[in-house]
Amino acid sequence: MTARETEWISIPMTVDVPYRFAAGRYLTKTLTQLRDNGRIFAVECPRCRRIQLPPRIVCAQCHVRNGRWVELPLEGTLVAFTIMFLPLTDPTTGKPHEPPFVYGSVRLDGCDSVLDHLIHAEPDRGKVWVGMRCRVVLRPPGERVGDLSDIVHFEPLPDQSRPGS
Amino acid sequence: MKRNVAIVGGGQTYHRARRHDVDQAEMVNEAVRAALKDAGMTMDEMDMVVLGNMEFFEGTHMTDCWLVHATGAYGRQGLKITTGGTVGATVVCAGAHLVASGLCDRVLCIGFEKQEEGDTGAILSGVANPLWGRSMAGAAVGYFAMMGSSYMAAWGAKEEHSAMVAVKARQNARKNKYAHLKLDITVEDVLNSRMLAWPIRMLDMCPASNGACAVILADDKTAKDRCRKPVWIRAMETAHNEQFELDWRDVKTKRPIFSKVCAGRIYGRLGVSDPKTYFDVFEIYEPATWAELVWYEDLGLCGPGEGFRLIEEGKTNIDGPIPVNPSGGVLSTNCIGASAMLRVWEAALQIRGDAGGHQVPKEVRRALTTAYGGTNWTVMIALSGALDD
Repeated sequence: MTARETEWISIPMTVDVPYRFAAGRYLTKTLTQLRDNGRIFAVECPRCRRIQLPPRIVCAQCHVRNGRWVELPLEGTLVAFTIMFLPLTDPTTGKPHEPPFVYGSVRLDGCDSVLDHLIHAEPDRGKVWVGMRCRVVLRPPGERVGDLSDIVHFEPLPDQSRPGS
Repeated sequence: MKRNVAIVGGGQTYHRARRHDVDQAEMVNEAVRAALKDAGMTMDEMDMVVLGNMEFFEGTHMTDCWLVHATGAYGRQGLKITTGGTVGATVVCAGAHLVASGLCDRVLCIGFEKQEEGDTGAILSGVANPLWGRSMAGAAVGYFAMMGSSYMAAWGAKEEHSAMVAVKARQNARKNKYAHLKLDITVEDVLNSRMLAWPIRMLDMCPASNGACAVILADDKTAKDRCRKPVWIRAMETAHNEQFELDWRDVKTKRPIFSKVCAGRIYGRLGVSDPKTYFDVFEIYEPATWAELVWYEDLGLCGPGEGFRLIEEGKTNIDGPIPVNPSGGVLSTNCIGASAMLRVWEAALQIRGDAGGHQVPKEVRRALTTAYGGTNWTVMIALSGALDD
């Protein structure tokens, strides 16, 4: 059994690790298009035709070079979601996302990958569902920085209701 | 395999949320000593030490160097492995490769985690691309919550079904003296526990545990000369998914699900047509309740969308026809670097008949263990008590 704690030295500390991340040529293209033109580009594998986002130089499945860039529409379908009740820390800012909030996995139309992001919907199980149609909401031009945060969130398309409701 | 590989001994710590009484080395050494004692061997007999844990989870790098006195690696061949949640199983696979190839006759495999020493959420965020998704990264609970919402939408399961998994795990853990969360709970207790990320509540998630596990692998000759109850590694499989492909939580995805791919391959190697009758017990890697239901289906214990029926009918109870996680599983004990090895060691104990209070009440000849980590990376190991079985 574990010993009873009497006086054990155990000191809290923080590790701060500065570093510089290179996005590379494929992700840079997608991020600059997002920042400068508000458009989303993915790549297509010449062999399996899988449309991949984030874009990668090599298709993992076929191990061939991805070449053709495909512009995706800014709309998609929610394939999974959660209503988060924990104040999750945003690791890129160190600040918490204020709960409760909805986040989920959206498949942009025509894309084979999904994208995880905040969903601007009421944190209410009746107001958000698997299969819900959503669209991208971008930061205003000029305020974009060139990472995924240029997408503020997804918002539900109007005039739809939960199946069975 | 070129040479047969047996588990000839093993051991684990008592798993706890707080272990301020030991440092990492002292904790790891508890498992190492237990394994050597169980095998009736000394450190001098080990040809090599393979160690694994989650990268930086304790705020230290190169744990193979830090822990060299405690692991027994001083002056001998050593190898350090980090493959995320699968690491404990990957360490066993690496050890089995070393013995099967003839490079070593006896290998000490160790997995550990002292979770209380690090901020696992902050450290896990480093798995995500800083420019593409890291702002939402770091919490496994969100991933499994999405799996749950997708599962319910696809198959009509209810939150009560995941709660049944939580109850089974913690009631089994009460029979396991080493387990961390031994809770006498009911489905109602689970449904009344604090909501973390709908549909996942506090009691739907694994704890953050401190603990270690060690197993000793050996060749045919050592096993036959030195071990009364060797447990044989009959097959191993690993399948890696692509990072940043997150749609494995969509239970109806048309993309490959690597747990399923891995199961298909290991069944193919062993000639298994009906896994639920071929294997007598399963020790699977279920950090959240919903993951267990999905595992049932990925392992082919039932058809797609039928996993929640298995738990509803009590089929996977410790005394049911398909016992799953009699140890209490990851839901009851999650010292991550050790968790996947604990699946293997617990399955070996079941085959030996040495599981004690959580021994399944039937003959156990064969067992299947699973692990996953990252985005659906999977490792599986199949064990049996007899080489000709």
